[in-house]
Amino acid sequence: MAAGAVVAGVIGIGGTAAAQPQLPPVSPEDLVASVMTAQPGPFNGTVGIDNELGLPALPGAPQLGNGEQSARVWSGGDGRGRVALPSGDGEKTLVSDGTTRWAYDATDRTATRSTGGAPEQKDPQTDPAGASAQIIGELRKTSQVAVDGTAEVAGRPAYTLVLTPQPTERTMLREVRVAVDAEKRIPLQLTVLATGSATPALQIGFDDVTFGPQDPSLFTFTPPPGTTVKDAPARGQDGPQRQGPPEGTRTVGDGWDRVLVLQRPAQQQGDQQQGDQQRPEGAPDLNALGTPVSGPWGNGRAITTAVGTAIVTDDGRVAVGAVPEPVVAEALGTR
Amino acid sequence: MTAVLERTHASLGRVVGAEIRWVLRRPRTLVVLGLLALIPVAVAIGIAVAGRGGRGLIAQVAGNGFVLPVAALGLALTLLLPLAVASAAADAVAGEAGSGTLRGLLVAPVGRARFVVMKAAGVITVAVLAVAIIAVVGMIAGALVVGGPGSLITLSGTTLGVGEALGRIALVAAWTVGQLLAVGAVALAISTFTEHPLVVLACVLGGLIVFGVLGAIPALDWLQPLLLTSGFGAGTDVLRDPLPLDGLASSTLRALVYVVLGVGVTSWRMARRDG
Repeated sequence: MAAGAVVAGVIGIGGTAAAQPQLPPVSPEDLVASVMTAQPGPFNGTVGIDNELGLPALPGAPQLGNGEQSARVWSGGDGRGRVALPSGDGEKTLVSDGTTRWAYDATDRTATRSTGGAPEQKDPQTDPAGASAQIIGELRKTSQVAVDGTAEVAGRPAYTLVLTPQPTERTMLREVRVAVDAEKRIPLQLTVLATGSATPALQIGFDDVTFGPQDPSLFTFTPPPGTTVKDAPARGQDGPQRQGPPEGTRTVGDGWDRVLVLQRPAQQQGDQQQGDQQRPEGAPDLNALGTPVSGPWGNGRAITTAVGTAIVTDDGRVAVGAVPEPVVAEALGTR
Repeated sequence: MTAVLERTHASLGRVVGAEIRWVLRRPRTLVVLGLLALIPVAVAIGIAVAGRGGRGLIAQVAGNGFVLPVAALGLALTLLLPLAVASAAADAVAGEAGSGTLRGLLVAPVGRARFVVMKAAGVITVAVLAVAIIAVVGMIAGALVVGGPGSLITLSGTTLGVGEALGRIALVAAWTVGQLLAVGAVALAISTFTEHPLVVLACVLGGLIVFGVLGAIPALDWLQPLLLTSGFGAGTDVLRDPLPLDGLASSTLRALVYVVLGVGVTSWRMARRDG
């Protein structure tokens, strides 16, 4: 056991508290404007995702459960990029060469190609200062927006933009922090803090990042021999999915306590005897989760996480928001 | 004076050579090495018979023969390779103490530091040979039984040529030897405290299992950096492209710490031992 202690000592020396770098002050408007016009150029890095959202472990989507994940990313600029999501004995790879996107899953050796609907071209902002002022102004109606000092993220100095809900907002979120690279002006880290918890509910950020030219071969993909190649249904063409919000969707409230009320797809209702077969692939079964709740709006099940609440009613409505359960129930009641 | 120095230098090589010959002449060493060679063969036959399917690294071997040595090494590293190395370390000191031959060695005019070097050389030999046998037999079985496109298909969907594929296999083999040396050094240290080789085997295997259990408990994830076993999965990284070195480097560093501890305890123990 002495061995363990010595190992702890040797390995434990690495993490030192990051000092706050000295940077010239910047206003939130200028910071957001600089992010919108940023041209970071090619880079690569490792992104860490620390998920403490408290989502229930869904059978169809175990990766949404609590835990840490990491991804390796490469960006070549011009819409070219590569993302590798390693798992214990497999890997998912996403490659985009600017026009064609590939998703390769090593566990079953399938490659999915999608060409339609090229990645949304970032509109060259004609007036980034005006646009950012508009965004900040919109946010200021419900939030306090501030540049709260500096931080060091992935070894790089960064400004920290903090969004705090106004006291009148009935949200479960305490604040959202975005660390913006001081030099390249790209977001390096997103931190979501919930009320009543000192540790972030969600933190996505670079563990390390290196700016510089990338090997162009990273952004091409040739399906290796023995791969099943599928074409993804082209987006935006007679595909029912991802056509914007389905009918019957409405939002209640605004700002932080906005609640989304939507109608579940019709085939999901009363199909218990058919079990999983009717459910669209990847959509988890919500019927077994949560605690039963009822109110003037009917009966349903409430699923509470660290950052929000969802109520699934027996008549097929779903209400979701970053708010406590009573606010969601209230939104269900409004017509 | 010079003549005496020269003689002692020569004698280090001689005692190490004698120890290695002694280790390799043990039937149990040869049997263990032979059985380890069966692992990639068994995997290759299983893949050839069952075909593609299933999950995990083994499933990656199908139609992709160069993965076989990597998968076989990963499979063996969980228990069988540590067992082979621990049994060599157990025989090295505890076995000799049990059979009474250790006293003769300690009385002989061989310095205690030299004695540790000699015993470590025997353990290193077994570790290197065990890994090399699995890697070489794995490559042969992969080429003959599994076949494949003559190149390595990585987990990232890229294709590596033969030269780079062999480089990746050499890398994972060297990394595996590093992990095994950590096990061997700790086993050698335990070996100096007992004269029953079985105690060494029980401690090492029990320790590996306990490490595995501790590593699987989410509430104890702060322990992960200390556990040797938590780096055992990093060998799979050689199948990714571009090659990520973080996992391999950190697990090698961790193994190095265990090696230093094990060798330190062994030297300290042997310096004070009379028989």
